[in-house]
Amino acid sequence: MLADILSLISSTLMSMTPLILAGVGEIITERSGVVNIGLEGILLASAFSSTIVTFQSGDPYLGLLVGTVVGFAAGMLHGMLSVYLKGDQIIAGVGFNSFAYGIGVMGLIAYWKTFGASPKVNKIPYINIPIYGSATLWFSPVALLAVIIAIIAWWWLFKTNSGLKLRACGEDPRAAEGMGVNVSRTRFYATIIGGTLAGLGGAFLVVGWIGQFTRDISAGRGFIALANVAFSNWNPLMAIAGGILFGFFDVLALYLPVKIQVLYPGVNLTAMSYLFRTIPYLGTLAVVSIVIKRVRMPRALGKPYIKE
Amino acid sequence: MSKEVRIRYAHYLTIVLELAISAVTGFMAGAIILWSLGYNPWYIYGIMISMGISNPDYLLSKATPLLLTGLAFSVPMLAGVFNIGGEGQLYIGAITSLVIAYYTGNAVLALLGGFLAGAALGGAIGALKAFRDVNEVVSAIMLNWILYFSILYLIVDKLYNPLMPQQSVPVPPSAQIGIIPFPGGGIHGIFFIAVVAALVTHYLIYYTDLGYVLRVSGLSPKSASYAGFNPKKSIVYSMIIGGGLAGLGGALLIQGYVHSIDTTMSTLYGLGFLGIGVGLLGWNNPLGIILSSVFFAMLIIGGEMVELTAGAPPELADTIIGIIVIALALPYAYKILINYVRRWRERI
Repeated sequence: MLADILSLISSTLMSMTPLILAGVGEIITERSGVVNIGLEGILLASAFSSTIVTFQSGDPYLGLLVGTVVGFAAGMLHGMLSVYLKGDQIIAGVGFNSFAYGIGVMGLIAYWKTFGASPKVNKIPYINIPIYGSATLWFSPVALLAVIIAIIAWWWLFKTNSGLKLRACGEDPRAAEGMGVNVSRTRFYATIIGGTLAGLGGAFLVVGWIGQFTRDISAGRGFIALANVAFSNWNPLMAIAGGILFGFFDVLALYLPVKIQVLYPGVNLTAMSYLFRTIPYLGTLAVVSIVIKRVRMPRALGKPYIKE
Repeated sequence: MSKEVRIRYAHYLTIVLELAISAVTGFMAGAIILWSLGYNPWYIYGIMISMGISNPDYLLSKATPLLLTGLAFSVPMLAGVFNIGGEGQLYIGAITSLVIAYYTGNAVLALLGGFLAGAALGGAIGALKAFRDVNEVVSAIMLNWILYFSILYLIVDKLYNPLMPQQSVPVPPSAQIGIIPFPGGGIHGIFFIAVVAALVTHYLIYYTDLGYVLRVSGLSPKSASYAGFNPKKSIVYSMIIGGGLAGLGGALLIQGYVHSIDTTMSTLYGLGFLGIGVGLLGWNNPLGIILSSVFFAMLIIGGEMVELTAGAPPELADTIIGIIVIALALPYAYKILINYVRRWRERI
């Protein structure tokens, strides 16, 4: 019983991490007035590049770093397109998702000649905390980092002068400009920070959690992170709670069939397991359509700022 | 030429120029990627384009679902809604059409069922946005995944073909759509139906009151409500139409081309997402979408052929399409570019 609960908690600490990292990054981006719907693509691209680096070097920390840098670059691309070229932010994000999917699968074939999954790579070791007897709580150090980043982001956005300026760019860019804020530059940097955090989340998927790249490794997590942004009402502290909630749905999808199999050894769950896999998406949909009411998004969100 | 006509020509020319820049950007970036993976881009592109159009029947079969998911993206887009759920709407249309066709053997009933199922799903996404402020991108993606796994469950557990376990039961011949006989040869049935759907959509958008209301709501929800239209209704109606078209696309694909769904869903996967690119490259205009759907079908078939003949990954098509879509997001940048070129020419 205790072992079961600890294992559920430990797994949730894993699955919440990319949702918190990408979600907090997107909160920073959206608070400045830019939407980046390409989170899914960033997760894929950074997961893929960190796999290659870890495969070649054997060092998962280097993989984590390179995945984060790829997120940085993707954020920079989206920032260029949406802030300086005044592109349609939603379309640019959708295009990036398709691009990253194509690159990921092409890379799988070009590097490893496989269509489904890369070979296993080294992972960052877990932190194990023995609780009682053989029952232990385990989690990745990156999960801890994600929570710390969320707290710092909250402090920055709501307790510092530069955080106030960033939020002003998302609420009323003209007034922000009047305050002496460089709206374009602030939005550009905020988009880069968002991409970087999503990149860290994508690299974590491989080197912190799953240990190999598969073509569907992101599995809609970029979009669940977007749901988390609305759930949190654009508040990084609430995004931790959202990450735990949405992450728990993810764990249930894998945990329930295993548990049922143990309790009723005779049942054949091959087909049923597909139904269990809808749980994270059903849960997310239920939360966004039933629980969330009256969220207040940044007023200038998604609108390019064009100076007269 | 009168001044008015000249302005209109200049407008069309700008659009064509923007589309051309986007396509060229996509191919150029694709070439760089191919080259960095160790392939000869010009050889690969040669195969892609020549093989892409070598079999007109295959080309039109591939273009049919893309034409409808392209419309499914563009109709809501004109009303200001971003329908990224064409994927799920195509799935539900396909499975509904398969079930109805299997049990009744009636082609028309199955097509209608596919349309209605897609319309219901689209309408639900629209209603969630209009009345519960749910971001349509998030709800649509969640529904895509829910349908993806639910359909897999249905095919593996309920609708599997006892003779071929990796496939669903097939559409019976009476519900299949083949070549429609016509004096002087025949016409490709499902592509013909898709083109008719595009023409009806064009009429609906540009020549009816409903279409006018949808377009006004898309351009400015405020003006729409001052004029007495309810923008929330526009959101729901546009999503019902869009979802229905994607559902019809799924039904046509099942009844006219693949006849069953495989247990990896590879027959359906991705067609809805590609519709976004098709709609954008067709300038959200139903007539333009007819052309862009054939262009995208050529890229995809070309990608498959490249895999067979040169061993290059077929996802090259996805990559190029992704870059084309990114490039299509930048009309403002092209205007700056065009103005710059114009000023530069005037200086000379």
